[in-house]
Amino acid sequence: MVVGDISTGTEVAVVGAGPGGYVAAIRAGQLGLDVTLVEKDAYGGTCLNYGCIPSKAMITASDVAHDAGNAEEMGVYADPEVDVAEMVDWKDGVVDQLTGGVEKLCKANGVNLVEGRAEFAGGDKLRVVHGGDGQGSETIEYEHAVVSTGSRPIQVPGFDFGDGPVLDSRQALAMDDLPESIVVVGAGYIGMELSTVFAKLGVDVTVVEMLDEMLPQYGDDLTRPVAKRAEELGIDVHYGLAADHWEESGDGIVVAAEDEDGELSEFETEKVLVAVGRQPVTDTLNLEAIDLEPNDDGRLETDHEGRTDVENVFAIGDVAPGPMLAHKASKEGQVVAEVLAGEPAAMDYQAVPAAVFTDPEVATVGLTEDEAADQGFDPAVGKFPFNASGRALTTGESDGFVQVVADDESGFILGAQIVGPEASELVAEFGLAIEMGATLEDVASTIHTHPTLAEATMEAAEHALGHAIHTLNR
Amino acid sequence: MSENLTLVQAVRDGLRDGMAEDDDVLVMGQDVGKNGGVFRATEGLFDEFGDERVIDTPLAESGIIGSAVGMAAYGLKPVPEIQFSGFMYPGFDQIVSHMSRLRTRSRGRYTLPMVLRAPMGGGIRAPEHHSESKEAFYAHEAGLKVAMPSTPHDAKGMLIASIRDPDPVVFLEPKKIYRAFREEVPDDPYEVELGEAAVRKEGTDVSVFTWGAMTRPTIEAAEQMERVDVEVVDLRSLSPIDFDTVVESFKKTGRAAIVHEAPNTGGLGAEIAATIQEEALLYQEAPIERITGFDVPFPLAALEDYYLPEPARIAAGIEEAFDF
Amino acid sequence: MAREFKLPDVGEGVAEGELVRWLVSEGDTVGEDQPVAEVETDKAQVEVPAPVNGTVRTLHWDEGDVVPVGDLFVTFDVEGEAPEPESEESTDADDEAADEAASATSEASGRTFAPPSVRKLARELGVDLDTVEGTGPSGRVTEGDVRAAAEGGDGEEAAEPAAESKSATKRVSDDEPASAGGAAAGGQEPAGRETTLAAPATRGVARELGVDIDDVPAVEQRDGEAFVTAEAVQAYAEGGQAAQGGAGEAGGASREFVEGGETTEPYRGIRRTIGEQMAESKYTAPHVTHHDTAVIDSLVETRSKLKPRAEAADVKLTYMPFVMKAVVAALEEFPILNSELREEDDEIAVKQDYNIGVAVATDAGLMVPVVKHVDQKSMLEISEEMNELVEKARDRSISREEMQGGTFTITNFGAIGGEYATPIINYPETAILGLGAIDERPVAEDGEVRAASTLPLSLSIDHRVIDGAEAAQFTNRVMEYLTDPELLLLE
Repeated sequence: MVVGDISTGTEVAVVGAGPGGYVAAIRAGQLGLDVTLVEKDAYGGTCLNYGCIPSKAMITASDVAHDAGNAEEMGVYADPEVDVAEMVDWKDGVVDQLTGGVEKLCKANGVNLVEGRAEFAGGDKLRVVHGGDGQGSETIEYEHAVVSTGSRPIQVPGFDFGDGPVLDSRQALAMDDLPESIVVVGAGYIGMELSTVFAKLGVDVTVVEMLDEMLPQYGDDLTRPVAKRAEELGIDVHYGLAADHWEESGDGIVVAAEDEDGELSEFETEKVLVAVGRQPVTDTLNLEAIDLEPNDDGRLETDHEGRTDVENVFAIGDVAPGPMLAHKASKEGQVVAEVLAGEPAAMDYQAVPAAVFTDPEVATVGLTEDEAADQGFDPAVGKFPFNASGRALTTGESDGFVQVVADDESGFILGAQIVGPEASELVAEFGLAIEMGATLEDVASTIHTHPTLAEATMEAAEHALGHAIHTLNR
Repeated sequence: MSENLTLVQAVRDGLRDGMAEDDDVLVMGQDVGKNGGVFRATEGLFDEFGDERVIDTPLAESGIIGSAVGMAAYGLKPVPEIQFSGFMYPGFDQIVSHMSRLRTRSRGRYTLPMVLRAPMGGGIRAPEHHSESKEAFYAHEAGLKVAMPSTPHDAKGMLIASIRDPDPVVFLEPKKIYRAFREEVPDDPYEVELGEAAVRKEGTDVSVFTWGAMTRPTIEAAEQMERVDVEVVDLRSLSPIDFDTVVESFKKTGRAAIVHEAPNTGGLGAEIAATIQEEALLYQEAPIERITGFDVPFPLAALEDYYLPEPARIAAGIEEAFDF
Repeated sequence: MAREFKLPDVGEGVAEGELVRWLVSEGDTVGEDQPVAEVETDKAQVEVPAPVNGTVRTLHWDEGDVVPVGDLFVTFDVEGEAPEPESEESTDADDEAADEAASATSEASGRTFAPPSVRKLARELGVDLDTVEGTGPSGRVTEGDVRAAAEGGDGEEAAEPAAESKSATKRVSDDEPASAGGAAAGGQEPAGRETTLAAPATRGVARELGVDIDDVPAVEQRDGEAFVTAEAVQAYAEGGQAAQGGAGEAGGASREFVEGGETTEPYRGIRRTIGEQMAESKYTAPHVTHHDTAVIDSLVETRSKLKPRAEAADVKLTYMPFVMKAVVAALEEFPILNSELREEDDEIAVKQDYNIGVAVATDAGLMVPVVKHVDQKSMLEISEEMNELVEKARDRSISREEMQGGTFTITNFGAIGGEYATPIINYPETAILGLGAIDERPVAEDGEVRAASTLPLSLSIDHRVIDGAEAAQFTNRVMEYLTDPELLLLE
């Protein structure tokens, strides 16, 4: 462009091509809307490039290495050699395949792709600043805008990302060679997943957690098997300590953490990974230009259609309220696209499943027993331990259980909590049950293949009804 | 088959199809070749058709237009581009003294099948010379056709019609809406006849005649008005003007407004008002309103929005006609 | 889980039944088809069978209650298996209103259980899911429930027509001033032509003179349309100004009316029963009404004489016993009016009993107590019994038996007023006699007109069974007895 500023008009401008944004864009394209998707970094966002996918790839790879070397019980003797750089390369390949796939899908559905960082310029316009090599900027005039800029890791004061040994999860997953030791600040799902990967790859892992339990969003009975396994893997977990500062020490560093009385504990290590949570990204959007303000949690308030206080601006994913989960973002993206196309869509989901890919995995959906009681239900609970599952025993992973929570009077399934092998997969059945308004009877009377882990869901339902076969009823 | 294209993409598509179906068609202008055009209107043509048919010229409007006249006289079908319509003036003599007159001068022995393309109009925050809207100059010159499409579909169709036309066409492209919206445009070549207006919205109370980038705000104003049932006619061609459609519309409503971004005095609004009263005086119930740019040089970017007619001002003008 | 059992249809067209007694208690185990309750209707007493194997969880009524058909009756816990979802009967308005236990779960937590596809349907149809009673297992909301809610209305329908009629009214009143105003403004909504051609100067003249150019008579045409000159406008203005001005003003004013809307009351219980019976009778039997007037001077005199005598026996003597006796006498001669048509058995039953029903207007509606065996009772007995029954009817203490078994009905609307009517036969009888107001009316006799006490009669008959001739003959006979009451002594 020589001079002047010719706006590109579009019906829907989506800012951010993560699991929320690209899904919204593709769905909108399918519904015949003119969509423009603006992304400043890589298609697929954090999830595809720096989060969900890379971490699961590394988890699988590290599991393979670890399992191969620890299967003597099954008569398998091995001492696998691990080339971390190759592992990371493989992981990158998977990521590239997926981001390429997202780009293709967008184009195939008529989505116009624009690379750059977008900010609001008022008057239904977005200013998109292009990357480095002098392509300047352009203006997009939208009828509707969808904000899906996601989140970034929270930085702990005294631990600036980008200072040599201080890593965020993204950097941690990109290391070509592993340190001998690492301190992980934060025993949430990111901290614990990555700790498990490092431990299985032979790194000396110390976890420092401010609260007095790991995975604090999950109940004790769910985290107990995880904590036990972490101990077995040699992960050293310290509770009640808040990371305070770090300093260089010899070849490595020392990480100092403070307890509630102000006493410092020091840990010698090579690197420190800070994984204390994520915060929504709204400060790069110039929201003042459209008079939109995030709430106290930094999120943009939305209604059941995903609409913000500004009538033609929607927010989805981590910037909108609710759990910061990719699948929740995708669902919101779909709903917003359908709303924009004039369909009667709404965020009416009954439950959002969540999974932690530790060892063993943890997954939950819907209400816990306590939550159900709080909401006025009379909860019936059924629990089936994996050590009673034939299939679980054949995998050698039989720690954990499937628990289902239902309303005693009507039988409606209200929630499920699972810890154990493939928990992340098994929970989907309960998600469907809750959405369908299925009862314990429905799940219990559905034939489940034998021998599978999924049978445990059926047995848990039977247990709640008082007639489980493979475990004792109360 | 068809594709959703912006207006400038449709121009490009029309050029490509025009060049593909006739080897005599060629494109010339500043930055049109290797660069693909500053607005991307000629993107990819250089790679497809080579440097003998996509010619990068020096910065010399008079030369560009004059050469094109010569080429056209000798059987080629040049489509020269002037980068901004405000820069046509250095070549004005070539346009009015030669491009428009060779047919007459040669008693029909020579015609000039050339299309002089130029982006025109304001609304892009550009400095002087880059926001001109002087279609009246060319409509005033006998021997020239003047086209100004306002949609992607019309842009491709009218461009192909212009390329195929044995006589010279001044093809003005309102750059404000180059990328403002996408529309389905057929892949294969097709024509939208020159000299034919399009009724964009039917109505019974007031006829509003407009063209170019003003079509969209006029339709917006018309749709928002509850009291007045407005008919919007997009002229699309400014020479010849489709007076049949214009008068037919006026006879239906008896009231009219004309919206153009060009300055008021001597603008084509005056031509239309004069013709209407010549042809349909007895139907007239109110003075014909002109909602236009002002009689000043096009202002700098900061005041642009006050200069260009926008829906509120257009609606007010229509109401004047309605309430008389 | 739980199975909600609603009171099924217990008799032809019966809307409700009285729960005489329960045959089971809460907690009892029952088998399918096992009788759980005895319910009486005004036709018969029936046993209600259990629809499932299971246990009785809740009995929702007390013995002696009158239970509407379709209301929740018993809740069972079904043995073992999953309960069957209810079929589309739930579209019945009664069912929707009656459903209680289904919402137990929703009430506990405020949550409605419905699959995603059903939730989407609700949004599409504009149904608020939280107001829909689910008929699926455990109260789950099904697609059928949502569709029924969208059609059934539950007040939504009532609101809509009202809203529509409101807006319709508004629009009409909106239109008028606009057109009237337009006329004044100079030719927009013409009272006359649609298009008038005129030079702008002419239009200016029209405007100045306050003339609608479309009304100016046009003698010329241009371009196929009427054309008017300035002179024509002037001429018209001078001539028709007065008429025009009036019209212009009248149209200008618009009145605003206060929209009243409507109130509703439930259509059920006795009212509904009466309604259904009236409909059945009128739609089944081809009604013909025969009118005549009896001159009853003698009857009036007789009654006056006998009244004090009756009072001494503590009986209020009205005209009704006389009429009843007259009717019975006529029925004995024309028994076909004392019959019942049983179409399904292809037979006409001619009754040998003379049980005369007397229609009584009560707060709850029309009731017909029956005086049985009128032929075997004396005038005083009839009078006494009738008065008693009427009172019982009025204070709702009358029993079902006392309203059953009638063979012919008399309705005395004349007590309130009126001359002739077209009474509806009290199904399944075949004739009804309506009495108008006893009043002095002009009567022509032997070429002279005098004032006489008269009693108008309206006899409606079922023309499938009785012919007009019979109706007339019967009426004539009744009138004979009324005109000459002494004839009753011979009966």
